[in-house]
Amino acid sequence: MTPFLEIRNIRKEYGPVVAVHDVTLNVGRGEFMTFLGPSGSGKSTTLYILAGFDQPTRGDIQLEGKTILDTPSHQRNIGMVFQRYTLFPHLSVGENVAFPLKVRGWSKADITERVRKMLSLVRLEGFEDRKPAQMSGGQQQRVALARALAYDPPVLLMDEPLSALDKKLREEIQYEIRRIHQQTEVTILYVTHDQEEALRLSDRISVFSKGVIDQIGTGEELYSNPSTRFVAEFIGDSDFIPCQVLATRNGRADVALGNDLTVLDIPLHGKAEAKANVELMLRPERISLSTKAGDRALAAKVEDITFLGNNIHVAARIGDRTPVSVRVPFGHEALSGVERGTPVWLSFDADAAHVFSA
Amino acid sequence: MLLNFNTLGSWKWFLIAVTTLTSAFLLLPILFIAALSFGSSQWLIFPPPSWTLKWYEALFADPRWLESAWTSFRIALIVTVLSVLIGLVASFGLVRGTFMGRGALRALFMTPMILPVVVLAVALYAFFLKVGLAGTTTGFVIAHLVVALPFSILALTGALEGFDKSIEDAAVLCGASPLKARVLITLPCISHGLFSAAIFSFLTSWDEVVLAIFMASPTLQTLPVKIWATLRQDLTPVIAAASTLLILITLILMLLAAALKKGLKA
Repeated sequence: MTPFLEIRNIRKEYGPVVAVHDVTLNVGRGEFMTFLGPSGSGKSTTLYILAGFDQPTRGDIQLEGKTILDTPSHQRNIGMVFQRYTLFPHLSVGENVAFPLKVRGWSKADITERVRKMLSLVRLEGFEDRKPAQMSGGQQQRVALARALAYDPPVLLMDEPLSALDKKLREEIQYEIRRIHQQTEVTILYVTHDQEEALRLSDRISVFSKGVIDQIGTGEELYSNPSTRFVAEFIGDSDFIPCQVLATRNGRADVALGNDLTVLDIPLHGKAEAKANVELMLRPERISLSTKAGDRALAAKVEDITFLGNNIHVAARIGDRTPVSVRVPFGHEALSGVERGTPVWLSFDADAAHVFSA
Repeated sequence: MLLNFNTLGSWKWFLIAVTTLTSAFLLLPILFIAALSFGSSQWLIFPPPSWTLKWYEALFADPRWLESAWTSFRIALIVTVLSVLIGLVASFGLVRGTFMGRGALRALFMTPMILPVVVLAVALYAFFLKVGLAGTTTGFVIAHLVVALPFSILALTGALEGFDKSIEDAAVLCGASPLKARVLITLPCISHGLFSAAIFSFLTSWDEVVLAIFMASPTLQTLPVKIWATLRQDLTPVIAAASTLLILITLILMLLAAALKKGLKA
């Protein structure tokens, strides 16, 4: 079976700069796929190529087995919500939503009916006669969503649509977007640099870095099994502790931390031979802390303790050099008697650790 | 505020005096001309011994005055339409284009604003004599277009730069062809720029006299040329009447522009 939307080896060069580096990606019908990455990672460029505002240097994009690259933007029948507010300022909310339908030559009765339906989808019933300038940013983006979905596009592109809104409003609209996605079953490609937003909304996430997709997977997959150091840093919190490879087999490695601690059978990402210097990735919430010395623990010293509401963030340092963070639930007994300067022993679950070649 | 008008003390009166004098300096000649046009003295005596409308009667009775006013209006109108159209296309190129030398081209478009008009007039006159455009409406229109275009381009590039292209992109993705998106969405969004371009283009042509003197022929004269020519023959209050009408139309257009601007903002 051919996938619904297929991006094949898309490459975009601007002179000597390669913005998108042979990106390949399949998206299923009705899937919510997020492009996550820092600015300049190629995620927006890929989205703009999908919209037809940019032509790829090479590669192909197919929708249901047919290439869309020779179809101009206005005939691609794709919906898009932009980062900035793009409602037509001289038209009312109703006229904005009606615009794509008018262009398509719908009858007046059909348009009126559809506009009402779309505004009720985004919970803005009765706002037909408002002008965009009379609405809040969140409301404007909801109208933009209604306009982009009015003509039942097979694919909806969203380019950081919430980045101009404040945090609370953002979460509210994220919830709305999820509901609308479930209600309409439209395929969504969503660009963001906010990992929390990506995790909250997506079925799957493509992590972009320097024009390449580092990894594609569900949020859980990316968190529990990051394939590159970049993904490990971008999804969730992480610390990296230098260590040395003792032996490798089948993509797993035994490593030595300092002179006295060895950890066996940890997933290895990238290539590393025995004796190579590598880094061990640990998650702050998967480290436990104790004031009692243990033989399978790392000695460290507490540098700072921060109260974060439901948990406590402990900043510690291993052997005067490597900083490491530990997150402990508020009120946990391990913290009694711990303050700045207290020597502690950190132990961790080998299942949650990963080794990345340096 | 750093400089509060009410706490300035005696400086306040100095500022009031300067403002009053400047306003008087700018406005008195206009008031003077308007007063003379209603004055009864044939020798433009001020203050007028008594008031009359006979100079306006003479003005409207003379077909040559009306004809030159109509010529001015017609030329200004054609210049306005062409200036806005050409200015719009040029501005799209300057703002949206990615070609080399855009900055230089932009500067080039502005040169008629800086160049001495009389130099431009001599050059155009010499050229038009050669190609047979001297003394024709076409010659007039081209000459005025040269000086009107910079204003039009200035207003329209400004409006286009202030317009978020994502809005046009959104219209295109909604299914409108790029041309349709520009006509239906972009043009209404930059309408304030279009109005400014139109009004400045019209006024530039309407009260332009240097180029017009070179372009005019005995049968084709704009109002400013007619005023100038009449002035050289004899000093009659009819000139004051014609000047007052010229100013009046200019004033009406300026007020219209201000009202439109206000209406667009609301």
